[in-house]
Amino acid sequence: MRRIWKIYKLLAAQNLKRLMEYRADFLTGAISFLIDQAIGIAFIFIIFTQIPQLAGFTFEQILFIYGFSQIPKGLDHLLTDNLWCVGYFIVRKGDFDKYLIRPINPLFHVIAETFQVDAIGELVVGIVLLIYAAPNAGLHITVWTVILSIIAVPFAALIYTSLKIMTSAFAFWMKSSGFIIQMVYGMNEFSKYPVTIYSFPVRIFVTYIIPFAFTGYYPSLYILTESDPLFNIGGVIVVSVVLFAVSLLIWNKGISSYESAGA
Amino acid sequence: MIYAEHLRKEFQKIVKEPGLKGSFKALFKPKKETVVAADDISFHVPEGEILGFIGPNGAGKSTVIKMLTGILTPTSGECRINGKIPQNDRKNYVKEIGAVFGQRTQLWWDLPLQETYLVLKEIYEVNDEKFKKRMDFLNEVLELESFIKSPVRTLSLGQRMRADIAASMLHSPKVLFLDEPTIGLDVVVKDNIRQAIMKINKEEKTTVILTTHDISDIELLCDRIVMIDKGKNVYDGSLHELRENFGQTRELIFETANSSNITEEQFRNGLDLGGNDLVIESDKNNFKVKFNSRKLPVGEMLSYTLSLTKVKDISVKDADIEEIIRNLYRHGGESDE
Amino acid sequence: MNKLMRRYVPFAKAGVQSLIIYRLNFIGFVVGGLIYCFVMFYLWRAVFDSNGGGAFLGFSMTDMVVYLFLSNTTSQLIFSDVSNDIGQEIRDGSIVMRLLKPVNTDLSYMFAELGAIVMKLVVLLIPMIVGLEIYRFCTAGVVMFNIVNFLLYLLSAVLAYIISFRVNLCFGFIAFYVKNLWGIGILKNSIIGFLSGSLIPLAFMPDGLRICLEYLPFASMSYTPVMIYMGKYGVYEIIFRIGLQILWAVLLYGLSKLIWFGAIKKLCVQGG
Repeated sequence: MRRIWKIYKLLAAQNLKRLMEYRADFLTGAISFLIDQAIGIAFIFIIFTQIPQLAGFTFEQILFIYGFSQIPKGLDHLLTDNLWCVGYFIVRKGDFDKYLIRPINPLFHVIAETFQVDAIGELVVGIVLLIYAAPNAGLHITVWTVILSIIAVPFAALIYTSLKIMTSAFAFWMKSSGFIIQMVYGMNEFSKYPVTIYSFPVRIFVTYIIPFAFTGYYPSLYILTESDPLFNIGGVIVVSVVLFAVSLLIWNKGISSYESAGA
Repeated sequence: MIYAEHLRKEFQKIVKEPGLKGSFKALFKPKKETVVAADDISFHVPEGEILGFIGPNGAGKSTVIKMLTGILTPTSGECRINGKIPQNDRKNYVKEIGAVFGQRTQLWWDLPLQETYLVLKEIYEVNDEKFKKRMDFLNEVLELESFIKSPVRTLSLGQRMRADIAASMLHSPKVLFLDEPTIGLDVVVKDNIRQAIMKINKEEKTTVILTTHDISDIELLCDRIVMIDKGKNVYDGSLHELRENFGQTRELIFETANSSNITEEQFRNGLDLGGNDLVIESDKNNFKVKFNSRKLPVGEMLSYTLSLTKVKDISVKDADIEEIIRNLYRHGGESDE
Repeated sequence: MNKLMRRYVPFAKAGVQSLIIYRLNFIGFVVGGLIYCFVMFYLWRAVFDSNGGGAFLGFSMTDMVVYLFLSNTTSQLIFSDVSNDIGQEIRDGSIVMRLLKPVNTDLSYMFAELGAIVMKLVVLLIPMIVGLEIYRFCTAGVVMFNIVNFLLYLLSAVLAYIISFRVNLCFGFIAFYVKNLWGIGILKNSIIGFLSGSLIPLAFMPDGLRICLEYLPFASMSYTPVMIYMGKYGVYEIIFRIGLQILWAVLLYGLSKLIWFGAIKKLCVQGG
């Protein structure tokens, strides 16, 4: 474990050094995500100029849900961005070879290789929104809500990561699975708003099949109303752990079907 | 040390018919075809040997190497290296091997070389003292000093190859796989790399499996060669033996005043030599006779030619290994005897 | 004309081929867009419900559905990736190869995309229009399809593509200064998404902002054609809007040429 941490720190430090070298690129990336976020918020703002409440939630509460949903998303984006490359080209080009001849877990190795600082955009916006919205969202801050929401964040991020592991692993069979990652990842849009606005089948889908609802709405609901921690927070933990186990299974099965490239 | 037994690898390939219609068909009803990249490959390499693993493009060399390194899982058969099966205990197995794939680097593109080695040091759990010793050794053999602080992307091909070999040797592996380590390099750099491989093999008793298209690599480095073609073993033995068995071809070059009247027919009829046993190439003043020296002694060929035409000069060329191998590829390993 | 065609049709064919080769990515892209539309659909339904369920600033829920799906399809139809292509070519230096060919550089890019657009027209736009008209028929009980509006929509969409192409051309040259093409892509898409009204109909925006945005070229890229299709504009407004599109097409043509010549000079200095 200590060795793994040491390797991670080494690789992350290298990534930061590289960042300094390409400063303009880093700024472009971070600013792009920041503006992308700003537009999402402007959208909510414009809607609320026309209506006082949405599905029973006030402007601040919706902002809170939106902000919370961006934190696990940003965390996953920060740490595991290289999985996209696995799906898009690492497997197809045969570059996955090198991970298989090193005495270290290939999944860890792939993930440790990049440290995607563009994610700052999502993290900053998420945190700023929580700070801005919390005082007016009518929530009671207790020791429990603080502890449970802090616990929920890494597990919610694990939902993102697991879905990415799973979908990128399809590349081992299909050579390239970029479009599947794109499609599944794109469903995180569902996590930004209360699931009560969706029709029943969609609600089931985003809760149990592609469980993005657990990365935003459910944990926020607990923080906002202190209701049903067993489902709203416990659900995040159970769903993410189960999903992670399944994704590891698929990933490992994929590796034994890996065909490399060339003759 | 290394045992490969009846290794077989099949790939599924989707066959696409040409054109737009074919693309649509492939989308909805892909037609699959099984391709056998390696078929019943067996060989054994004792400790400390340098084995040349050769064959034409697409013969399945890389597939076999990738099975031996644990990257691919064989469809059937197994390999055992140092008593370990690569696919079963990958993590422990790869600690004992090093691999260089000449066509692609395993180094981190943006990292200075020095930093790459530091990361690998942790990955392979090499302690500080051993690492220092190791770097000194590799520095001496591969002369990394001049570019060790540069990012990998700025290295020349030759430098990068040396850097890659050093990276694969950092943890003192018992077996080293080199897949085309001299590809695309100029003569001087090739020579450097060969010297380094030889030194590593001598001083550390590292077993080396080397694939290459450069025949001089084999002549200079390899104790033994295994040749495969179309996924099958076609030859396994020493270079010397190969030359003995297949190297009967001799080449005589005659310089004459006018050689335009020389024909292959003439030689065939006069000497009773069939299909593969004789080739004649001629231009205005020179002609070249390649023939099987087991069927006809060199002396007889000489005197026959001299009886045909007036010769100004003669030169004799011994069979070179490249020629032999080309012959082997052509005949699929059947000896001429 | 014939000669022109012969020279540029290969580019169009190559465009179609690459769409087929990358068809899975294309399908992913389309499905991604549809998922987004559905999220927006539910969101707007909740907004309409919160507002008492009736019409909202002249939009009924049916209008909203048509708007959402059609503006998404229109954006995909006129989507131009030329900024990314140019960026890549600038980075790997292959833009020099394109300059060496005896063809008009802009046109060669444009024809490569036209092939893909024709494909998208058939597999994307037509099914979407049919679907939306069936939906409108089911909710309203009468056929609401208007052939004149549809033809005007196509005209406006062609202009929209020209504008989108020129805007992208300008974006592409940023690659001379910034290497993070991917970040630029995100930035470009979110800015265009917002300013073109494909995210929220411009009609819903606060008045000051709305008037500004309506005159910017981005509104011409999907808002104008979709509003025409939906019959939200009268005759004079249609003439005015299409005139505005033409004006922007001409202005952006000039701007992209200007940047292009500047860029070529820089290319010469850098040596490719």
